Amino acid sequence: MTDRLRLALITTIWEYRSHANHMGARFLNGYPRRGRWHRPDMEIAGVYVDQVTEGDDLSRRHAETHGFGVYETIAEALRLGGDRLAVDGVLLIGEHGDYPVNDKGQKLYPRYEFFEQILDVFRADGRAVPVFNDKHLSYSFEKARRMVEASRELEFPLLAGSSLPVTYRLPPVELPLGCGVAEALMVGCGNSDAMDYHALEAMQCMLERRGGGETGVRAVQLIDGNEVWHTGTEGRWSRGLLEAAVSRSDSRSGIALPDGRPQDLANSGELEELVERPAAYFIEYNDGLKATLLMLNGAVSDYTFAARLDNGGICSTQFLLPAAPNVTYSACLMRKVEEMIVASVAPYPVERTLLVSGTLERCLESRLRDHSRVETPELAVRYRAPNESQYALD
Amino acid sequence: MKTSIQRPRIAALVSEYRRYSHGQNIVDRLLGGYGWESRWHRPELDVVSLYVDQVPESDLSHERLERHADLTLYPSVAEALTRGGSTLDVDGVLLIAEHGDYPENEKGQTLYPRYEFFSACVEVFRASGRSVPLFLDKHLSWSWDRAIEMVETSRELGFAFMAGSSLPVTWRIPSVDLPHGAEATEIVSVGVGGIDGYDIHSLEAMQCLAERRRGGENGVAWIQAMRGDAVWDACQAGSFATGGWDGELFEACLCRSHQLTPIDERSRHVYPTLEEMKALVNAPPVAYRFEYDDGLQATMLLAEGLVQDITVAVRMSDRPEPLSALFYLGEGHQMQPNFFNPLCHHIERLYATGEPPYPIERTLLTTGLTAAGIESLWQDGERIETPHLDIAYQVAPESTFRRT
Repeated sequence: MTDRLRLALITTIWEYRSHANHMGARFLNGYPRRGRWHRPDMEIAGVYVDQVTEGDDLSRRHAETHGFGVYETIAEALRLGGDRLAVDGVLLIGEHGDYPVNDKGQKLYPRYEFFEQILDVFRADGRAVPVFNDKHLSYSFEKARRMVEASRELEFPLLAGSSLPVTYRLPPVELPLGCGVAEALMVGCGNSDAMDYHALEAMQCMLERRGGGETGVRAVQLIDGNEVWHTGTEGRWSRGLLEAAVSRSDSRSGIALPDGRPQDLANSGELEELVERPAAYFIEYNDGLKATLLMLNGAVSDYTFAARLDNGGICSTQFLLPAAPNVTYSACLMRKVEEMIVASVAPYPVERTLLVSGTLERCLESRLRDHSRVETPELAVRYRAPNESQYALD
Repeated sequence: MKTSIQRPRIAALVSEYRRYSHGQNIVDRLLGGYGWESRWHRPELDVVSLYVDQVPESDLSHERLERHADLTLYPSVAEALTRGGSTLDVDGVLLIAEHGDYPENEKGQTLYPRYEFFSACVEVFRASGRSVPLFLDKHLSWSWDRAIEMVETSRELGFAFMAGSSLPVTWRIPSVDLPHGAEATEIVSVGVGGIDGYDIHSLEAMQCLAERRRGGENGVAWIQAMRGDAVWDACQAGSFATGGWDGELFEACLCRSHQLTPIDERSRHVYPTLEEMKALVNAPPVAYRFEYDDGLQATMLLAEGLVQDITVAVRMSDRPEPLSALFYLGEGHQMQPNFFNPLCHHIERLYATGEPPYPIERTLLTTGLTAAGIESLWQDGERIETPHLDIAYQVAPESTFRRT
């Protein structure tokens, strides 16, 4: 038992509906993997919780059952109360909790601040271990960039991002590595800046496989309201790709609710009636590719993608988010975290998350600046997608 | 004269047409289309006539008739097929007798009038000297005698006959099939729902894998059903030979489920102990244990409350790891039941080609297993020899479940 790897979980809150519970509990209870109940060969040993609400907090209860320590500071959680770094990996889950919101509408989760404290321990103790950061690295691209640079400087694997890139897909498809992409469209739902992040990263994990690899984003624009439909009519995004994306949707809305009938959402005219406040995130890549995220609350409740390839073919899929309470997609993500900690290599590049963190921030800036187009020379993030698919196939 | 561009004209016979009934789900998709492979697919056929057996207050058929001018309602099955004329006047028949208010027999089977609808079709076929392809939703009948008669009639008259559940054709997670010709030794399913309604779905999910094994299908030798505590006792037996089933296959099923109920909801996703499973089911569990003629051992488990979906696992003699998958039906009742999309895709192929996409013998066998399983339960778990289920058939290597 003493040979088991030990993890520190650094989180904002650990409550029933929090990401810390979705993810952390995988290391307490195990999770399904390839048709078996997999019990990771590693355990949560030290926990730091930033905000504790009596009655809702689960960290104390789990600590009693599972025998880990809950510490007052991040440094103590990493050192397990001793004087040296005492864990083999860190889970940084700064999602959910009561934090202020800035003028861009971003919730100021203290991921960067937590990460800095983790770095302090790594530096002071002369050793660094793999870190997983849930969702975007930070609300600030500048902070996100510094996090990635620190991981390079101290040479520790850093894995980050959403579970959408690694969950099951219906159908199980990937863009052919090196293919030419003419245009791409993602359809998502939920609030900003929580759910738009997931949608943007899902789109990015598809597009990063295109020919030439990822070279970054040169400009973004976020518009909302009826203007979204007008830009569709003008051809700024493709109605055909919208049809392809929603052909993968299993959402039920509009006439289907009282009546049951499937609906041709993209072409029936009903979409424009159903969507409460549409938003379009336009992303212009440095290599000329144009991609659009449409957030269509009221019409869809799932995440779908479509791209037109240079050969004329369309590739489309749904990123499957299995329902609560099991939310199996988080098991897919923790499997990747385990892989990183065992192999000491991140299974896919953190630059994906860095680029999407920055893309989202600049989109929200566009919204703040009267929806104007924002040039983004700082988002020239270059990386190569892994050769092997990383999403759930088995 | 029929030309290649002529669209098949279809008669739809439904027990009822209300929101989310099988009739509504299938006929609506054929009338108005559905999402398929990156587009809104409009079927190349016309549903021209409709017979609706029961019209509850929530009926939607009249709304559909108003909206589809070329769809006509007829007061009988025969008239829907002749479109009011004297002979058969459609190119295909859709027979969906699922849902509606029908009597139940003492064994717990709902007496849906599938055989009655089918017989009325056959009368028209015989009188017209011509038959057309027919799709029948779910199992053929609650009665084995009726089911075998239906299949024999289709052979006698030489029409393409397709039937069954959407389970064999829906997405699988992961997207796997039994390798064609694999040596399967044991198969287990864990599913939601009760007998007569959902056992057939689980059995069809099992059978569409089992039929691909080495030697193809040769039928089932015997079946024995159990309910309640007997199932939990068998769960501990550890193997088929000792009266239970392979525990690893059972675990594989629970691990493929997306809707395994947590015993402690504050912890979310946890693997239950046997005692916890007993607490989680909201009806006495049911098992059908049966053995195929070639020795393949099978267990279908219904554990409503423990899970809310249907999973299957197969042991193969030449591979260390079992094959297992979720037969995906969506993530809850707020989603569209788009497992009907691949079913409609195959129904369209039936009418377009005049060939069933997979053998009717699959559903004949699952119909017989369902009836025999329910009979065994009715006889307090007596083992029932099933020489009548020596049904042999072969399937092509190409998979027919939704992959694209």
